[in-house]
Amino acid sequence: MMASQSKATKNAIDDYLAPATLSDALGALEDGEATILAGGTDLMVQTQSGRVGYKQRLVNIRRIDELRGISEHGGRICIGALVTITELLNNTLVAEKVPVLAAMADKFASNQIRNVATVGGNICNASPAGDSIPPFLVLDADVELACLRDGKAATRSVPITEFFTGPGRTVRASNELVTGISFAVPQAGFIARFIKSGPRPALEISAVSMALGGVVENDVFRSVSLSFGSVAPTAMRARKAETFLTGKKLDDETIRAAVETALEEVSPIDDVRASIWYRRHLVGVYLRRLVADVVQG
Amino acid sequence: MTSIAKKSVIGGRFPKPDSPDKAVGRTRFINDLELPRMLYGKILHTDRPHALIKSVNTERAKTLAGVHAVLTGDDFPEVKFGINRDNTPLKKGKVRCIRDEIAAVAAETEEICNAALDLITVEYEDLPGVFDPIEAMLADAPLVHEDRPGNLSLAYKFDHGDIASAERQSDVIMDHVFNVHYVTHCCMGTSSVIADFDTDGKLTIYTQTQYPYNYKMDLAPALGIHPGDVRVIQPPVGGAFGSKLDVYPFEPICVLLAKATRRPVKLTFSREEEFINAPTRQPARIHLRMGAKADGTITFRDVDCILNNGAYTSWGPTTPYVMMRTFSSLYRVPVVRFRSQAVYTNNPYAGSFRGYGNVQATYAAAIQADMMAEALGMNVLDFSLKNAQKSGEVSPQGSRLEDCVFTECLAIAAEKSDFVAKQNRYQAERNRPGRIKRGIGLASSIHNAGGAKIHKSDGCGSILKLDDYARATLITGASEIGQGIDAVICQVLSEELGIPMSDITIVNNDSAIAPWDVGVHASRTTFIAGNSARRAAIKAREQILRAASKQANVPQEALDLREGWVVQDDNGETVIKLDKLLRQMHFKEDPELVMTTDYYEPPSEPETENHVGDMSAAYSHAVHVAEVEVDTETGEVKVVKVTSAQDVGRIINEMGIEAQIEGGIAMGIGYALSENLQIVDGLVRNPSFRDYKVMTAPEVPEMELHFVESHSKTGPLGAKGIAELPTIVIAPAIANAVHNAIGIRFLDPPLTPEKVARAIWERDISVAAE
Repeated sequence: MMASQSKATKNAIDDYLAPATLSDALGALEDGEATILAGGTDLMVQTQSGRVGYKQRLVNIRRIDELRGISEHGGRICIGALVTITELLNNTLVAEKVPVLAAMADKFASNQIRNVATVGGNICNASPAGDSIPPFLVLDADVELACLRDGKAATRSVPITEFFTGPGRTVRASNELVTGISFAVPQAGFIARFIKSGPRPALEISAVSMALGGVVENDVFRSVSLSFGSVAPTAMRARKAETFLTGKKLDDETIRAAVETALEEVSPIDDVRASIWYRRHLVGVYLRRLVADVVQG
Repeated sequence: MTSIAKKSVIGGRFPKPDSPDKAVGRTRFINDLELPRMLYGKILHTDRPHALIKSVNTERAKTLAGVHAVLTGDDFPEVKFGINRDNTPLKKGKVRCIRDEIAAVAAETEEICNAALDLITVEYEDLPGVFDPIEAMLADAPLVHEDRPGNLSLAYKFDHGDIASAERQSDVIMDHVFNVHYVTHCCMGTSSVIADFDTDGKLTIYTQTQYPYNYKMDLAPALGIHPGDVRVIQPPVGGAFGSKLDVYPFEPICVLLAKATRRPVKLTFSREEEFINAPTRQPARIHLRMGAKADGTITFRDVDCILNNGAYTSWGPTTPYVMMRTFSSLYRVPVVRFRSQAVYTNNPYAGSFRGYGNVQATYAAAIQADMMAEALGMNVLDFSLKNAQKSGEVSPQGSRLEDCVFTECLAIAAEKSDFVAKQNRYQAERNRPGRIKRGIGLASSIHNAGGAKIHKSDGCGSILKLDDYARATLITGASEIGQGIDAVICQVLSEELGIPMSDITIVNNDSAIAPWDVGVHASRTTFIAGNSARRAAIKAREQILRAASKQANVPQEALDLREGWVVQDDNGETVIKLDKLLRQMHFKEDPELVMTTDYYEPPSEPETENHVGDMSAAYSHAVHVAEVEVDTETGEVKVVKVTSAQDVGRIINEMGIEAQIEGGIAMGIGYALSENLQIVDGLVRNPSFRDYKVMTAPEVPEMELHFVESHSKTGPLGAKGIAELPTIVIAPAIANAVHNAIGIRFLDPPLTPEKVARAIWERDISVAAE
């Protein structure tokens, strides 16, 4: 059997732009022939290894102030695409209203990477193991996108549950830029927790990650939202397990049955980090832990 | 006249002299060096483990602007090199593993090199591969090398005493198979080399090698040049750990590129290339049997090892040479049978790595000792004390244990860690509810600590000079690869010459200047190079004191050198300033310059062909106690504390010893718990730090280090080599601790969370089924 060896990823760029405004950036993306650089913590590794090739133009969006900042208005919290993981970790609004994001940020990569890695980048990289994604899934967040249409800026919001189409793939069109992510301020009493696997407290790509949110009233779980990372082609909401848990008293039998339900929903793979068996095992371990944690408040 | 008291720098705490430059980023590694007109080189490695090369098309690459040369195996006569003479720089006809080099490019930038590599097309006819050494021994297995029947690479055997009668004397016999895995060195600096020819055709090579003199001998045949025409320059390296103890194909390839282009060429691996193409630790299947009498006395060890040689032979398949020492001398073992076979496969291949087979052997031997103690109903501490050798004993292979403090190491490690009480308590708590279980484990080890006479000489040369300002320069054959010989030599010279360490310069980076040394390996440098430097210093000291005695008319024995002065030994009163004396010696009518040389050969013996001989000038022991927490749900093992008691001979630089032991423990924890180069069907599945998990700072446990000073009679000022033992002994201590916590043995490291969780789950299922 004959076979041949040749490589063909493009790791040189023809053109580099660093626009200072959103409208300039959208102009630079208009023909769809641009690779976007934010923190670069994924892009640099992927292009160096040849797994991802550059398009002809590299657009560095880091000078665009419009993509920075965490704000609250109209009952929603907006996180700019360029907000770094370190900012998420240290932000007072996040600490007060959505501490689960700070808890996630505390487990994210290492200090050095958190200082440059951005929320927008972590979402657009669309790794099934992306740490920020399970918490945004339980927050029912929307991904905010912008592009130029007929010379004018056009925006759209995509629920994050519909944003990912596969590993490394999203519904973002090649002329679109993710400008941020937004979600409703959680209702009173909402508690959310995040957990990821791995014995290393830093620099761990999780074999399983999980976020659980909801309101516990009189021992009964309501408004349940549950999400998993690394157990399916994309990070996912576990709708059946959510439905199962909703309105239930959180006793051992309920939790056992919820784990069974969740395991029907996931489709983990064997890979270099973990086997199917271990991922399914951890789904059970972590779901029990998170439920116990949420019940304790 | 003032008086200067006698002071010693031995046993003090001194940062390595090269650390300030490293801390501020001033150190010039090979990556920082650029020679005028220098080109860059890159290698096209194959992407399949076993295939015939039908064609290599380099035409498009050759026409790319900025490319100066594209080479393939067809451009040179095939010259074999390596330990088994089975490797070539660029492969012709066939590839045998994914490390194989198909073509090489020299170009003006690395980017152009990479673009040129993309333009090379290779056509293959895939061959069935063989990846498991046991399958590779089968009669119908594919042959990796057509001229190596049965795929056999190297075999070792050792026999001492009669196993059958030892078995009859045994009350308990343990019989287990251990499988130890692939790990790699993870040097911070990836492999890099610069080759530069002068107009006479002589080669200067800038390399990370840790054995510069034999390196010439090994490199030259692959190039068809005379070893004498190779000058080896050793810039500072970002880690070596044994990985630079051999010549690998990228080095002759870089030289061939330099020859073809008549320009200096630098070739540096990317991190991914480093994971795939740098050597690994030797994996092994170790079938180990050990017998003991009911009172705990060991009766025999019987060992069969099968090693996955990979496609070519570097030092990895020679590690049984050290393994057999472990099996015959870790504890008093009256009867030993050892067999090993290294078998060619289509996997990448292993080199030497800190511990050199002893990491693998001790993993098996120290776990089995724990199992034997359990089977006998003894504590492993008592079992170890029962079988621990004392000074004056000779092992079956002829290791003469002088200055042996094994018993002291056991006692200190056990007492300081409260080992016995904790082990009993944790075992009693094993079946209580709660997901976190604690455990404590003990492991013992022995290693050569005074070099290893595996070459015709295990020596090191030194040249010492003092200038007119009483500044000393010591030119030593010993390479500095981060292990700390620079500080040790400065201390030894300071001690003998009475000058500050800051007035001493070490030169050891140029084979045209420095005298011969066998290389940095076998925990030998402090011992051998330290002895050589000290002997050169003593000669200089005598020359100086002779002159001072004559000038001051005081008997030579009554004088000493302290803090830059010649003083009277009894009261410390100053006689003459040293620099002044040196100038007087230099510029007098009958001038003399203080320059001395020494070549030190340790009092060790090469092994006979039956593997008997006192191959090291000293041996030492280390005992580690590890305390762990096991998460019984996720399987995560956290090392909470390590207590170490190690025979260091005598402390020269306490800071250096601490750094070696702490670093060795961190490296060994990675071996035990997380590091695993996953090679499946000949392919490396995790060639990145993302998925190859080394310890990071937060997982490094508390370490309590105890240095036991045995005062070696042959070591420099009593010191012994110390660098490998901590990596050798920690992993079985951890595995024994995990057993204490959860009652499960792990014979196949690493103890990853998944492996531990799976073992607990399987046990719970089988318990539930009963």
